[in-house]
Amino acid sequence: MKARLLLTFWICAACYASGQTKTAEELDQVARVASVMVDGDVCERILTPRAAQHLLKVDPRDQWAASDNFDVNHDAYIQIKKTLIRLGRLGPPHTDVNLWMPVPGDPSRIQVMIRNVNEISQFWTWGDLHQPMPPEMKEVLTTGKRKTVMQKPNFISVLAPVSNSLGDVVGLVEVVKQLVDDPHGNVK
Amino acid sequence: MSARILLSLLLMPLLASAAADLRWLPEHLRPDPFGGIVRADGPGQARETRIELSGARDGYVSCHILVSPQAGRQFTLTAELQGLELELFREWFHFMPSRKEWYPDALIPVKMPYSSVLPDPENKIENQRTQAFWLDIWIPKEAKPGVYDGKVVLRASGRTSTLPLRIRVLSAIVPADDVVIPDHNSYGTFWLNAQYPKSEDLFRLIHAYHRIFYEHRGTFHQLGYGHGGKVAPEFAPELTGSGRTRRIKSWDLYDRHYGPLLDGTAFANTRRGPRPIPFVYLPINPEWPASFLWWNEKGYETEFVNVVREMEQHFREKNWTQTRFELFFNHKKRYKAFPWDGDETRFPEDNRYFVEYGRLMKKAIPADSPVKWVFRTDTSWTMAQQFKELEGVINFWVAGSGMLSLYDWAPKLIRSRGEILWTYGSPPRVNDNSAAITSELLKAWLYGASGFVHWLAVSPGDDPWFQFTGGATALVYPGTRFGINEPIPGIRLKIQRNCVQDLNLLEAVKDRVDREELTRLYNGTKPNDWWTRNSPLLNRPPQDWNNADIGDALKDHRKVQRPKDASAWQRVREYVLKIAGGEA
Repeated sequence: MKARLLLTFWICAACYASGQTKTAEELDQVARVASVMVDGDVCERILTPRAAQHLLKVDPRDQWAASDNFDVNHDAYIQIKKTLIRLGRLGPPHTDVNLWMPVPGDPSRIQVMIRNVNEISQFWTWGDLHQPMPPEMKEVLTTGKRKTVMQKPNFISVLAPVSNSLGDVVGLVEVVKQLVDDPHGNVK
Repeated sequence: MSARILLSLLLMPLLASAAADLRWLPEHLRPDPFGGIVRADGPGQARETRIELSGARDGYVSCHILVSPQAGRQFTLTAELQGLELELFREWFHFMPSRKEWYPDALIPVKMPYSSVLPDPENKIENQRTQAFWLDIWIPKEAKPGVYDGKVVLRASGRTSTLPLRIRVLSAIVPADDVVIPDHNSYGTFWLNAQYPKSEDLFRLIHAYHRIFYEHRGTFHQLGYGHGGKVAPEFAPELTGSGRTRRIKSWDLYDRHYGPLLDGTAFANTRRGPRPIPFVYLPINPEWPASFLWWNEKGYETEFVNVVREMEQHFREKNWTQTRFELFFNHKKRYKAFPWDGDETRFPEDNRYFVEYGRLMKKAIPADSPVKWVFRTDTSWTMAQQFKELEGVINFWVAGSGMLSLYDWAPKLIRSRGEILWTYGSPPRVNDNSAAITSELLKAWLYGASGFVHWLAVSPGDDPWFQFTGGATALVYPGTRFGINEPIPGIRLKIQRNCVQDLNLLEAVKDRVDREELTRLYNGTKPNDWWTRNSPLLNRPPQDWNNADIGDALKDHRKVQRPKDASAWQRVREYVLKIAGGEA
């Protein structure tokens, strides 16, 4: 009986691991394409000067000043958003592709710039306009190499660099999927 | 002589406590667990005299019953009243660690006779001396006007205490249609899983939430999609295909969810009777039913129009023609999924998206559709501009209550165009005085708005029972702790319901209402004071404002709309019943 249970457990674990590996490979393929397809010059134009000016300002009388002044250039935003949606469709069902950009004026921080329909990420803290740069993202921005991350249970992300026409890495994409999808997740 | 006085003095507390084991309080004076009145509502004293209440027909009257038996002894409470219907609720005292005080709010329905002991074994309050009960008395439409006598009876420690109960039923009937609808908003269904981990029937639970708000003269909204456009399966028909092949595959979950709400059968066996819900969110957002991938391309219009057209047809076939279906956008660009603000639009250039969706809706819906479609926006920063620029596009405005006070011209303009105006804000905390819940309703009535949205009304926090944060996002509670697998009401919800009844009566005689007297009774103000006139804020465009500026501009306004004390609405009620109640 015990042996049968152990065998069942082992089979399940093996299936899960193999599913995980397969998904990671699929996401990596998408991430590879994303590095080519996402236009870094356009990404750099998304944030408006007004939003950039307020992003790091701390107003003691108005804690929402940065959020209330967050604005984007619509054409640039829409162009990249559409590319991200297409990339998401290249991956397995319910794959999201998020764009992350360093915060101008503070290399220690990064901001998610565009999210997608499932609103999933291993890194985003809900509601944060910008946040401390995770070491994994710093590594991708520095080395220009893709990185697979499986920190948060049930999530797989592949981070891939986004470059501009000068060849500078100006941001990154997070290609992300939950191993078990939650149809009610993030409807809030 | 001195010995006799001494004896009397010694006996007095004993006699007093024996006589005072059954007392009552009017609804606006909330009791604490020690025989007093909560700090926010005081000063005041519980009464030992006859309970006397007056009310119109097809409505409720209410009060608190206070029971203070000897500690550790069982007590039994019951109430009797021929011809009217009684409902008894045990009041839960929530501990607020931030204030180190107990406030009653959640109401647990109990059957009469009700027996328990003090301190309440569940509420676990050290040295609790009083258990409070909320008594709802329902006056049916058919009740004959006149005086109805009954009693509240307490049996404890081998003795019986009685409080006579007298209800004066007035000839007036509370109008069925609410002049100001209190709306209770929520997001998705994930919170239901957290609050009801053992519940398997999601739709039964959702309908129970609609029912509790409906029974309390309110409505319930559940937004079915997230900021990125993901729609939970029970909030939308299932789609298939892409581009010209996109269409509705199945209505199964949608119909199971909404069918009983849209035909009114979910409200069978309620006192107000079965009626379709007056408003409902549509699942439409920038990512549904058309993919944002096709935005600005012909595919977006094709997907959008084809699916919305199918929805119109389905609603028409089902005869769901009494509910207003709301096109409403909740996303904000700060949440990073779309480039424009659908909610509380901050930048005027975003208005073009509303115009485009207005065009798409017009294209999708036949001009002679019997289904009621409305385009709603919740507006704050740029409301003045939106009221003008989006004329003919938006016809349901939900305006930030404070900011609307800057624009006294707006309600008239909106009404003249036949559009709907509501306001929005948050529920008051339990440690605000009990009349605080009436403030936004009175203001809406004074402004000519027909609804007020509590932006979140179902989220009482992780531990509302012993670590309560005040209830600024909840007017109901999960009943699971008490073996009730659905929501239970709070006192603030009951006070709100009774206030709406009064407003309905007021509206019925509005030509005879002295508004100056009304606001004077409420808090010593004049109706004109409820507007913020000539604010220097308006000398600059809204894009240059910040929250501190707004706070400064509306500082006086917040004071103006505050009820003077817990009795503020009681004074208004007496006025209402005097001019609109009729004879007993």
